[in-house]
Amino acid sequence: MKHTDGGQLYTIEGFAAALIMIITAFLVVNATSIYTAGDTHISDMQLEALGTDALKMMDVAPNSKISTNFGTPLQQIIEANPVDSTMFNTTFSEIINQGTFQNPNTIHYNATYTCRNINSDNSLTSNSITQNRNLTGGEHTVRATKWVIIKDTNGNVCDRDTYQAVLVEVLLWRD
Amino acid sequence: MARLNDDAQWIVLMGFIVSFSFFFLALVINQSTVVGQTTAESVIEFPKNDIRDIREVIGESVKSDDLNDINDDISVISMQRKSAVVKYTNDTGTNPTIIEIHYNNGVTAYNETWTLL
Repeated sequence: MKHTDGGQLYTIEGFAAALIMIITAFLVVNATSIYTAGDTHISDMQLEALGTDALKMMDVAPNSKISTNFGTPLQQIIEANPVDSTMFNTTFSEIINQGTFQNPNTIHYNATYTCRNINSDNSLTSNSITQNRNLTGGEHTVRATKWVIIKDTNGNVCDRDTYQAVLVEVLLWRD
Repeated sequence: MARLNDDAQWIVLMGFIVSFSFFFLALVINQSTVVGQTTAESVIEFPKNDIRDIREVIGESVKSDDLNDINDDISVISMQRKSAVVKYTNDTGTNPTIIEIHYNNGVTAYNETWTLL
């Protein structure tokens, strides 16, 4: 069979048309999935790790031999009457906003704790600890949590004066 | 139909090849914006800190006098605030104490039997 070189342009045109159709199909199928840029999640991940680490650092007991206060800073903050929001703000802000540069970071937070009303209906009560910026609802926040076992002798936390577990929740966001 | 002018076929072919290679380069740049997404998402989704925290607080609660209250606190608050089912036994009557921890947040399940001497 003899090969002729006629119709080469038609072949090229055919390939071009095929590729255009494939590309169109690819674009159409691809358009249905929406991707957020990867860096959003990366900074979320870092913010969550930072918040969790900060809470963990605040839940380490000081040396009981040199301190008259027993319990971790976080326990003392919640057991205090009223809740020691100043101490929480000082400690937490310092940890999350520390940087190697002179200007501090501007990470904002809103901290609450949740306890269980064991004496009445087992419902939960969430109380504010403190915040360094009010939430308006438009922020993109991540949540860091920490369980704390406390014994509030004043009986302010859900009317309980025995040992109980409360969940400290912190929402963190950047400007 | 007039005879097709078949001059400059190589130039046309090269033109197509170059334009399609541009398209594929654009595709590569397009994909680069989602770099790290899967990694970061799976890190966020995996409740590593939750599980560590639960283990820590359970270990601490065993020493407490009100361990049954704390057990219920953890189950109820986990369910409502963290959407996670947490159940654990705190049978301190046996020696060694055996704590069975079950954690499930719908994506990740974690079970552990912990022996405390």
